[in-house]
Formats: sequence, structure tokens, C-alpha cells
Amino acid sequence: MRGRHDARAAVGFLAPFFILFTIFTIVPVLYGFWMSLHNWHILAKTPSFIGFNNYRVVLEDDRFWQALKQTTYFVALVVPAGNLVSLFLAIGLNQRYRGETFYRVLFYLPVITSITVLAVIWRWLYAPDNGLINHLLGSQIRWLDNVELVMPALALMTIWWGAGGNMLVYLAALKAVPAEILEAASLDGSTSIHRFFRMTLPTIRPAILFCVVLSIIASFQVFGQSYILTNGGPADRSLTVALYMYQMGFGQYQLGYASAVAYVLFAVVLAFTLIQFRVLRKSLQPD
Amino acid sequence: MKKFVCLLPLIALVGCRPPAASVGDVVELRFWNGFSGPDGKAMEQIVRDFNASQKDVRVKMQIIPWSTYYDKVTLGIASRDAPDIFVLHSHRVPEYATHGALAAMDDFLTESKMGPKDFVPLAWGAGTWQGKRYGLPLDCHPLGMYYNADMFRKAGISKPPETKEEFLAVAKKLTQDTDGDGRTDQWGFAITDLHLVGSTLLFQYGASLLDKEGKRAALDTPGGREALGFLRSLVTEHKVAPETSGDDSWVAFQTGKVGMAFQGIWMIDGLERQATFQYAAAPTPILGPEKKVWAGSHILSIPAYLGADRQKAAWSFIRYLSDHSLAWAKGGQVPVRPNILNSKEFQDLRVQREFAKQLGYVQYEPSSPAANQITTYADIAVQSVSQGLATPEEALATATTRVNRVMERQ
Repeated sequence: MRGRHDARAAVGFLAPFFILFTIFTIVPVLYGFWMSLHNWHILAKTPSFIGFNNYRVVLEDDRFWQALKQTTYFVALVVPAGNLVSLFLAIGLNQRYRGETFYRVLFYLPVITSITVLAVIWRWLYAPDNGLINHLLGSQIRWLDNVELVMPALALMTIWWGAGGNMLVYLAALKAVPAEILEAASLDGSTSIHRFFRMTLPTIRPAILFCVVLSIIASFQVFGQSYILTNGGPADRSLTVALYMYQMGFGQYQLGYASAVAYVLFAVVLAFTLIQFRVLRKSLQPD
Repeated sequence: MKKFVCLLPLIALVGCRPPAASVGDVVELRFWNGFSGPDGKAMEQIVRDFNASQKDVRVKMQIIPWSTYYDKVTLGIASRDAPDIFVLHSHRVPEYATHGALAAMDDFLTESKMGPKDFVPLAWGAGTWQGKRYGLPLDCHPLGMYYNADMFRKAGISKPPETKEEFLAVAKKLTQDTDGDGRTDQWGFAITDLHLVGSTLLFQYGASLLDKEGKRAALDTPGGREALGFLRSLVTEHKVAPETSGDDSWVAFQTGKVGMAFQGIWMIDGLERQATFQYAAAPTPILGPEKKVWAGSHILSIPAYLGADRQKAAWSFIRYLSDHSLAWAKGGQVPVRPNILNSKEFQDLRVQREFAKQLGYVQYEPSSPAANQITTYADIAVQSVSQGLATPEEALATATTRVNRVMERQ
């Protein structure tokens, strides 16, 4: 009797979320798949059904592969370096000194700032003639117009943007490392480097994997940085899959094709995530 | 995915707005365009004059920057909430016409006794698709040449170059190391808008985005390769242009570091306000074997779903705009009505009149519903070559594959 009452209450509390989730996420996601099976120009009165033809064309589309290549490059730049930076910041903040909270807030601030605002700020930082970065380096490097430098430049900005988020996760994990064990080890004469690699790191391994998985998923969907700063240029060197999808959907108004690109990106991210879950599960098993 | 999700509530929201109402007997019309520069002020004045000239129709104009303009118009049409009159660039007309989004205007023209005789012949085709008219060309904006008259005078150059040989000679003469530090600090030429400069060169060398039938790419020809090779050689071989392109190059011209630049007529206002030197305009030099130059038009269109009365009212405004395009010319444009072009008032506009000299040999972008999409591919080719990332052969082969892949699906 009581169980049923609880269940009803639970449904009541969950309903608002599920109704909105269904309307604004599940239905559009399924509708997007339906669109991807059509030659669907936004103005077409009756889009023609073409089955999986859009997917075939996406896979033959060299610009899509170019975008996937650049996106993967971006992921490779951002995920390892970004997580290292986050971990370093977390270790720095885990030292118990005055103003720890102040620095924590400071490092976290970019995370809650809109990418649009940050992109505009970084456009000035990267400016060739009067940008701060070139001023400090005493150079006139055209960061965002250079085919070799554009992706690293966007990655650097993204690392700065996102480091604070993972930093909090790492900080929480570091604080959960039992102090007694570390203390005992140091009494036994182990160095701090030794303690970090032999004790701290194995303990926070789940946090590392969690952060890496999430940052890979997020980095594959990179959009705002290149949309605002470079619009994919120069010569498609900063074209990402999400930006390509957007350009095909809005700009070209090929909604069916753009939906197909979105689903292929989804498949790529899903594949990466599944592989990581495997790795994650294995490494979480007690030795 | 999220972007598409946004679309649904957006359509729902705009769908809720009441349609523009007719107050009493006055028909109120909405008019959208992207004239966010000084051209917008000129257009505002014409709209005010139109509203004052009669009592039946009132036009309310809204300016939306070009960067977001097409998304708004397209969503508006898709949700039947587009303005009653809107501006399209000529190469976008087939895309909208082919989906039945634009009202045909042939009957209005017949009624108003307007025809080819009232227009510049090459501009008359702008706004048509498959033999029907879906919009009236308000102007024609060819690519033209701006030059630094002070710099020309100092170098003893008496007239702007017209041919490839003259162009290279002038550019070389103007390219100088003025402070003797071993580095060039004054350039003869700068590559500004890659799309406009690239298209013009391709046209002048007989290449085009699409063949005459509008079915397949016609880019990867000996001429096309020569055109892009020539563009790159201005930087590498002749060394008369800096590595930059786009806005940076234009700023360099505006600040007196560059002798010549090709740009659109819409740039004159910025020059008027910012240039610290005497500048002048001339027709774009002919750098290839064919006498051609890129041009586009602003097209005035009406949505197809509009009722007959509103269409008629909208047409009365479009006609007024066309008849009064001298005011538009003064805002920095080239009109396409011969009687206006020949008027003394127009001939007194020293920049506009130079651009207008090209009206006899302008070339529009190919007419195709896929024009907007395939233009991107040609632009990437031009960009890759001009930055030395690819040879003309490679870049044009890639562009051709991409264009044909899209055209096969049309």
C-alpha cells in the first residue's frame, strides 16, 4: 500500500521533467532522425523521402571527413593537456593556504562565462597588430589566419575556458584521499613525488577517467569557438563537425543533410564513449 | 542536434504573432533588408518619401544585418510570417523560387508597362528563374577598382591601369620600401574579398562555377588554373601584394599602405569617412582574355503566399523604389534604369559613375538553386591557392568534385 503511494508521488515529482524532456529532447531527436531520411530543404513543402541516401553522401563528403579530422585533432589537443592543467590547478589548491576559496572561484569563473563572450575577448588577445599575446611575445603572429596555428589557438582558449570545471572534480577527489595513509607514508620516509604517484594517483583514478570521458564527449561537439572566431577558416582548417552541421542546416538550409551529419557525429561520440566505458569498468575493478 | 531543437519552439513562437494589420483602408506593409550601412539611411529616406507620396500604403522598414538576415527571412517564409517585401541577392533568387516561396511578378510588370527597355540589358535577367520573374533588380553592383590617387600622382602615374600589363607595371611601380629597411611597406595591390576578386579572375579567364546548362562545374579548365595561378603570383612571383586578404587588406588600403584594391561600390562610405588621402575609382582592370567583371544585384521580392491585394500594394512600393533609384545611387549604389544612369545627377557621382561603366560586360553568378552552397566550394579553392596551401590544379579539382556531387543531387 505504502509502496504504491510512494510510486505515485514519485511519478508526480518526475512528471514535469519527463514531459519537458520528451517535448524538447526526445521528440526533436527522433524528428531529427526522421528528417535525416529526407531531402529536406527548409522551404520544401513536401520533402522527399530518400532513405539512408543522406548518410551515404555524408560518408562520401570530403568536407565532412576534413571536419572530423580537425575535430579529432582538437580533441587530441584539448583532452590530455586540459586534464593535466585541471589536475595541476587542483593539486595547487589542495595545499591549505589563505585565499584558497578565492583562487577556486577565480579559476572556475571562465567555466560559467558564455563562450560567445570569451570568444570575443580572445579575438582581441589573438589580434595580430595590437593583441595582448603578440604584444607579450613581441611578435605579429596571425594566430587565427594561420592554417597551422588556428586549431592550437582554439584549443588553448578552450583549455583555459574549461580547466576550472574538471579542477573541481579533481579537487574533490584529492580531498578524499585518506590523510592518514599519506601521513604514514611520509613518516616512513617516502618523498612527496613518490606519494603522489604511488598513492594519490591510484586513488583518484576514477575521477581522472570520469573527467577524460566527459571532456572527450564535450570536445567532439566543439562549436562556438570556431563559429565565432574563424567560421571554419582559413581553408576549412578549423571546420569542426558541429560547425559543418550548423552550416549545412542554417546557411544552406539542408536540414535533412545536416541531421544526417548530426547522427554520424552522434555515432562517432557513442563509439568513443562505449570504448571508454569498457576501459573504465576494467580499470575500476579491484586489483 | 540542439540547433534543430531550437527551431521548433521558434516556429511556434513566431506563429503566434498577429499578422501585420491593415488600419482602416491603409495597407501596412513590412519591408526587410540588410542595409545596415549608409545605404540604410538612403533607403529610409526613400521609404519616408514613398509614405508621404500617397495615402493607401504605409511601409515599415526593418534593417537586419546581412549576417543573420537570410536565416530570419527563410524562417519567416517557412512559418508564413515573412515581411511583405524583402531584399534578396540575385544569386539567391533561384533557391527561393524553386521552392515556390516567391510571388511571380510578370503580370505586375505587364500592367505597369515595364519591360526590358527600362533596364540595363544584363541586369534584366537578375531576379528571374526558369523564364519567370520573381523579383525586380534595384541596382547592379559590379566589382570595381579603388586607387590611392595621391600615391599615383607621387609615382607619376597618370591614369588607372586597364590591362594586365598596365596593372602589373603600375603595381610594381607602387610597391616600395619607403623607409629603406629592406622590407616592403607600400604595396601596389592587395587581395581583399576573396570571393569577389576570385570570381572576377575566373570569369576573366573564361572559367565559371557552372557550365552554360547550369549542370556541372566549369572551374577546372586551363583558364581557371591560370586565373588562380595569376592571383597567387601577385604575392609570390611579382611580389606586388602582401600575404593578407579580406578585411586586413582593405584596412591596409584605407590607411594608405596600398595603391590599388578591388572592392564593391558599398565601400565608398567607409572611404569617405576614413581615408586620409585622395582616392578615386575606376573599372576593374581586365587581367585575363575575357572582358568580364563580377556583379550582383539587390532583388526586391514578395512572398508567394501573400493575398492579391497585399501583393499589389507591395508591387506599388517596389515600383516606386525602382523609379526613384537615383536616391539609392546617392547612398552608394549603381541603379539599373538607363534614364537614371544617363541623368546629369548620376553622372556627377564620381565613384558610382566609374563603377557603372562596367554595366555592359558584368557577369552574374550562375543561376542555380544550389548557388549558395557551391559558391562556398569555389571560395575555398580560391582561398587555398591564395594562401599557398594548394596548387590551382589541386584546389580546382577538389572544388569540381564537390560542386558536381551537389549538382548530381539537384
